[in-house]
Amino acid sequence: MHTAAHAMLFLLPQTTGYIFPNEAEMPWSLLIVVYPYLTGLVAGAFILASLVKVFNVKELQPVYRLSLLTALAFLLIAPLPLLLHLGHPERSYEIFLTPNLTSAMAMFGFVYAWYLMVVLLLEIWFTYRRELIVWSQGERTVMKVVYRVLSLFSVDTSEESAAFDRKAIKVITIVGIPSAFLLHGYVGFIFGSVKANPWWSSVLMPIVFLFSAIVSGIALVTFLYMVLTTLRRERINMACLDKMASFLFYAVILDFSLEFLDFIHRLYESEESIKILSELVMNRLFFSLGVIQVLLGMFVPLGIMVLIRVLRLDEELRKLLYFVAVILIQLGIFATRWNVVIGGQMFSKSFRGLMEYKAKIGGMDGFLMTLVLLVLPFIVLTVLIKVLPPWDRPESVAR
Amino acid sequence: MTGFFKRLPEAVVRVGIVFLLFITTVSFARWMIPASLKNGREHRTATVKRETAKAIHYAGADACTECHKEINAVKTEGYHRNLSCETCHGAAKNHAEDPDVKAVTDKVREACTRCHMYDPSRPTGFPQINPVVHNPRKQCVECHKPHSPKPPHVPQECQACHGQIARTKEVSPHVDLPCTTCHTVDVQHKVSPREVRAQIPSDRSFCAKCHSIDSPVKETQKVDIKTHGEKYLCWQCHYPHEPELHSYGTKTLP
Ligand code: HEC
Ligand code: HEC
Ligand code: HEC
Ligand code: HEC
Ligand code: HEC
Ligand code: HEC
Ligand code: HEC
Ligand code: HEC
Repeated sequence: MHTAAHAMLFLLPQTTGYIFPNEAEMPWSLLIVVYPYLTGLVAGAFILASLVKVFNVKELQPVYRLSLLTALAFLLIAPLPLLLHLGHPERSYEIFLTPNLTSAMAMFGFVYAWYLMVVLLLEIWFTYRRELIVWSQGERTVMKVVYRVLSLFSVDTSEESAAFDRKAIKVITIVGIPSAFLLHGYVGFIFGSVKANPWWSSVLMPIVFLFSAIVSGIALVTFLYMVLTTLRRERINMACLDKMASFLFYAVILDFSLEFLDFIHRLYESEESIKILSELVMNRLFFSLGVIQVLLGMFVPLGIMVLIRVLRLDEELRKLLYFVAVILIQLGIFATRWNVVIGGQMFSKSFRGLMEYKAKIGGMDGFLMTLVLLVLPFIVLTVLIKVLPPWDRPESVAR
Repeated sequence: MTGFFKRLPEAVVRVGIVFLLFITTVSFARWMIPASLKNGREHRTATVKRETAKAIHYAGADACTECHKEINAVKTEGYHRNLSCETCHGAAKNHAEDPDVKAVTDKVREACTRCHMYDPSRPTGFPQINPVVHNPRKQCVECHKPHSPKPPHVPQECQACHGQIARTKEVSPHVDLPCTTCHTVDVQHKVSPREVRAQIPSDRSFCAKCHSIDSPVKETQKVDIKTHGEKYLCWQCHYPHEPELHSYGTKTLP
């Protein structure tokens, strides 16, 4: 109690205008920024993968498996920020065993379990089943056992079984697309449905979240594809890269239009919150929203991609520019999450004052932990790639 | 039946087994969890049982009176009359049963600031201080008797007890109006604020003195009080300590 009071003394001078006493401290910290960021990447990466299987975009075949593994790696880490933020990650299994069926927040558990077990793991299993059998035959040591277990001791490598795998993958992907929408749409819904908060409360929220998710997912897989291919000293498949970039281009345009629509809508409606929201945007969020999210995260990448299209640049330059663009987009989407989560807690419900947010450095929900959580998915991905190489190996080009 | 299973692709059978295993494990775990964790009603009953089984540490507000009659008499006269002894002395059931066990007495400043440190959410008039500037480096009990705290002298300014209001008025168009323009206050209000109440304006004609179109007072905005918000008291729409209107966005939000 006493520390809370001291925190008040420390935080109060940083506010401007009038705020309610319980608003000085922000309940949702940096980790809650990381959570929608990670889930967004999952949904985006999965939708990229589904372009190959459902919409038959042949050019993207080289990144199909990579995007599945990326989605899995990030999905495995996605609940961690929430559990850490709650303060007792070691008790999290209790949430899963005694779920609260009437809580919108608890729905994440179900959406997550459905998406992990019924969509991602199944699709990956069917994708790799035949290879796992082949690989297990080529291995001697522990890996043999690992591959046997991963294939669930499957033995059938016949052409018939492969045909069934393909059919199954198609069905799962078709179920998977709405599931991916659900996964991130849900995250948007959680914010959009807070009717007391005018910065969040908007029916557009789930859709805006979804498109920014697609943007971030495609950008991430593009980034990974370029880095990994270079590390493996192989040639980047330019057809694939150009195709991803063009999807990225359209997704960014859609995302931008939606956010712009939301903006116009708010301006025109001009509800009683509009004054404080414009204060918020012009003061507290000017850098993260105006500069990072909109300028660096949207306009510059869009400009780059228009440039590439118009000037028909050569390969090397194109690669370089794509690389810059996807990094900027990643930065922009992270800023988007920040602006939603932190921004939504920066103004008083009295609409007459602004609060300030200072992230802690250490602790279970501090800055360092945030860095750890952002690096962790890449470590998981490295392990996944080691165990389940996503590239077409010469001996497995059968399909 | 077996024929049906034979005809299923082996992949489906294997995945099916994994899902079955998973569902069985979860169902088993659910089944193992005691009902008191799954059912709201049972959960509450179990909690009540668990809590009532705990050892009692507090003797209660009346337990001390018996042996500490004088202190209690002092306390009932003072501002701390509504505080239980154990609020400050901590759980003292053991002491009440056996006086050889000493009761704790915490004299540090923090023991008082947990109630008296400035916090805008505390109710109007609650005595609050800023411990950083209020006689630092001395213990509160050096100047205030804990069982009957009285400020060594009666505060002169309304601000001493109504800090929030005073600070609000400070940045409002009403900054130049002293509190006593609108409140008739007996001196005794500053000594026993709850017994001797301050007066609050009772009707619209009060504000009209300065704001009605026919008011002689210069330099105020005028309204026709016959038509302006006619059914309501002025302060149902304008907070009298910060009638904000034109000041909004310039004075309150730098
Ligand atoms: C059975 C009688 C009895 C009851 C009941 C009792 N006390 Fe006491 N208390 C004493 C006696 C005797 C002393 C010792 C007086 C002395 O040493 O001068 C004492 C001393 C104290 C002291 C001073 C300790 C010190 O360090 O000098 C405190 C504080 C105190 N009591 C608090 C309480 C509180 C609070 C309660 C109620 C929960 C309580 N007492 C109930 C008999 C009682
Ligand atoms: C606001 C907090 C507070 C409350 C309420 C309170 N005390 Fe105390 N009490 C103190 C402090 C602080 C001291 C130490 C004073 C000192 O050493 O100058 C003290 C000292 C004492 C002492 C030992 C010194 C003395 O003055 O004789 C006794 C006995 C005591 N309190 C009993 C009680 C009893 C009985 C009650 C309830 C009727 C009570 N107190 C209520 C804060 C409190
Ligand atoms: C559990 C909360 C609590 C604690 C702890 C507490 N007080 Fe109080 N104090 C009160 C309440 C309640 C009042 C009465 C306020 C009222 O009448 O509006 C009060 C009144 C006062 C007053 C009278 C101010 C005035 O209006 O003139 C003083 C002085 C005071 N306390 C000092 C102290 C000191 C010194 C301590 C530490 C020994 C202390 N208080 C601990 C709750 C507390
Ligand atoms: C050096 C003596 C001294 C010390 C030490 C001291 N005070 Fe005071 N206190 C005063 C005086 C004098 C006043 C009366 C007028 C004023 O300052 O406004 C007062 C007033 C108060 C009031 C009433 C304010 C109001 O608005 O009615 C409270 C509450 C209070 N003190 C609490 C405390 C607390 C809590 C501590 C310890 C953290 C403390 N005091 C320490 C001398 C002291
Ligand atoms: C010693 C502290 C103290 C001082 C000094 C003080 N007040 Fe108060 N005042 C209080 C408290 C405590 C209440 C709350 C009474 C209640 O709600 O029971 C109060 C209530 C009021 C109210 C509301 C009355 C109501 O019926 O709701 C007004 C108006 C007021 N004070 C005006 C003033 C003005 C004007 C001054 C300066 C001339 C002043 N007070 C000085 C403690 C103080
Ligand atoms: C322009 C006239 C005006 C002035 C100046 C003024 N008040 Fe008031 N005050 C009112 C009115 C009218 C109310 C009744 C408001 C209501 O009931 O909503 C009120 C209510 C109050 C109340 C009780 C309700 C509350 O808001 O907590 C307190 C305490 C109070 N005033 C204290 C003060 C103090 C202290 C000052 C000087 C710093 C002051 N007032 C200056 C008009 C005024
Ligand atoms: C003693 C005269 C006086 C009384 C009584 C008075 N006011 Fe005022 N009021 C003023 C002055 C002076 C101003 C400031 C004018 C300026 O500088 O713009 C003002 C400003 C205002 C404003 C701001 C107008 C604006 O456009 O910014 C409002 C609203 C207001 N008062 C409402 C009230 C209400 C409601 C009451 C009754 C509780 C009241 N006043 C009682 C003198 C008074
Ligand atoms: C139903 C709500 C309501 C009530 C009751 C009300 N007002 Fe107003 N008042 C307003 C609104 C809204 C405005 C601003 C819009 C306008 O200019 O009409 C305003 C404006 C004012 C202004 C500023 C006018 C200017 O030209 O800047 C003053 C002064 C004022 N009111 C005084 C009063 C007084 C005195 C009373 C009581 C007799 C009162 N009001 C009752 C709602 C109300």
